[in-house]
Amino acid sequence: MRNGLTPEQDALAAELALGVLEGADRAEAQRLYLADQTFAEAVEGWRFRFGALHETIGTEAPPPGVWPAIEARISAAENIATVSKLRFWRRSAVLSGAVAAALAVALVLPGAPDVRTVVLPPDQSAIAQLNGEAGAILAASYTPQAGQLQIRPVDLPASELTPELWLIPADGVPRSLGLIETKGTTRINVPLALRAYLTDGAVLAVSLERAESAPHKAPTSTPIAVGKISTI
Amino acid sequence: MLDPDPHAANRARLVAALSRTSGGDRSALREVYDLTAGKLFGICLRICRDRDAAEDVLQDVYLKVWNRAGRFNVERASPITWLSAIARNAAIDWVRSNNPSSVAATPGGDSWQAEPTSEELGAFETLEAAQTRMRLERCLDQLGPQQGGAIRAAFLDGFTHSELAARLSVPLGTMKSLVRRGLLHLRECLGDA
Repeated sequence: MRNGLTPEQDALAAELALGVLEGADRAEAQRLYLADQTFAEAVEGWRFRFGALHETIGTEAPPPGVWPAIEARISAAENIATVSKLRFWRRSAVLSGAVAAALAVALVLPGAPDVRTVVLPPDQSAIAQLNGEAGAILAASYTPQAGQLQIRPVDLPASELTPELWLIPADGVPRSLGLIETKGTTRINVPLALRAYLTDGAVLAVSLERAESAPHKAPTSTPIAVGKISTI
Repeated sequence: MLDPDPHAANRARLVAALSRTSGGDRSALREVYDLTAGKLFGICLRICRDRDAAEDVLQDVYLKVWNRAGRFNVERASPITWLSAIARNAAIDWVRSNNPSSVAATPGGDSWQAEPTSEELGAFETLEAAQTRMRLERCLDQLGPQQGGAIRAAFLDGFTHSELAARLSVPLGTMKSLVRRGLLHLRECLGDA
């Protein structure tokens, strides 16, 4: 009894490390692992010992496409993390009403300086590739002359929900561009008020939403794919 | 005299690359990938038994490495053992969630693929680690192809008791006691040396 466990207990620790246990046996061993430090140390000891067996497995060169896929998924995950951090993303259903009200108040305040900002729509075409951590890929392009955005899913995880496209400009507030088809190209006539936002650095995102109530004021879930717009 | 740690430079390079990866350096992850992808792909292939799946799992593995590199503790684990465990767990997760019955459906005869003890030093192995490994391998060999083979297969192929039983076409209870007795012997064998 090197470690104070009985041989049977130590063998159980080895079985947990080996991964052979199932069902109730596994649950019991895991309970012990959490409750009994000596047992937990024995499991780690066996994991370490068995781990050495990996040296006996031959190497096999992965195909060249694996690394670019990993990089793309890291970029996608980082974009999603950025978008999820945008302060309006989660609570914008509540907030956007309040923000709109505040703006309305500002507009009718007497004596407010009469400043108008005229934003001209960009006259450059724009493209974006949207990627998601779970492998979703969509390609989008925007033709300013027609005010039309085309988007096509290349790869989309199956879902009962429907993909909804969001445009997120620098203010971080997502604006719905409506639902998109899961197959083929969806052509979206971008509302005039939103066209100016389709410029470098703005973000397109797709979330899965209930089709009946679309378009929505705000997304209800984390986006499955995100991409930055680049003008060309 | 034998160099006690001929692969020290390899290992130091891998540890340094993991450390830089934890700081969000993609070129460091690329270095980890270049050093270890062949090894980890071998592990994924062996457990998934499906090339496409193994490629997907390998992507998951390096995303996990990207997110968890900060948790690697050089005091407690060798970098390649740490990475191999991530690959093994990811591949087993894939098998469990994608084709739980495929392995059980294919009896593999009455024994296991022979796995002679590898006398060569792994690319990141210290001489001491290799000696510990070879001792374990010799003890497994002593158990004979059935018991020793079952334990190896449990670890390297990711088989559970019932998968091992289906593979050898023996009752589950028989397999459980076979593995248990094997581990008790292994324990003594390792303790004796």
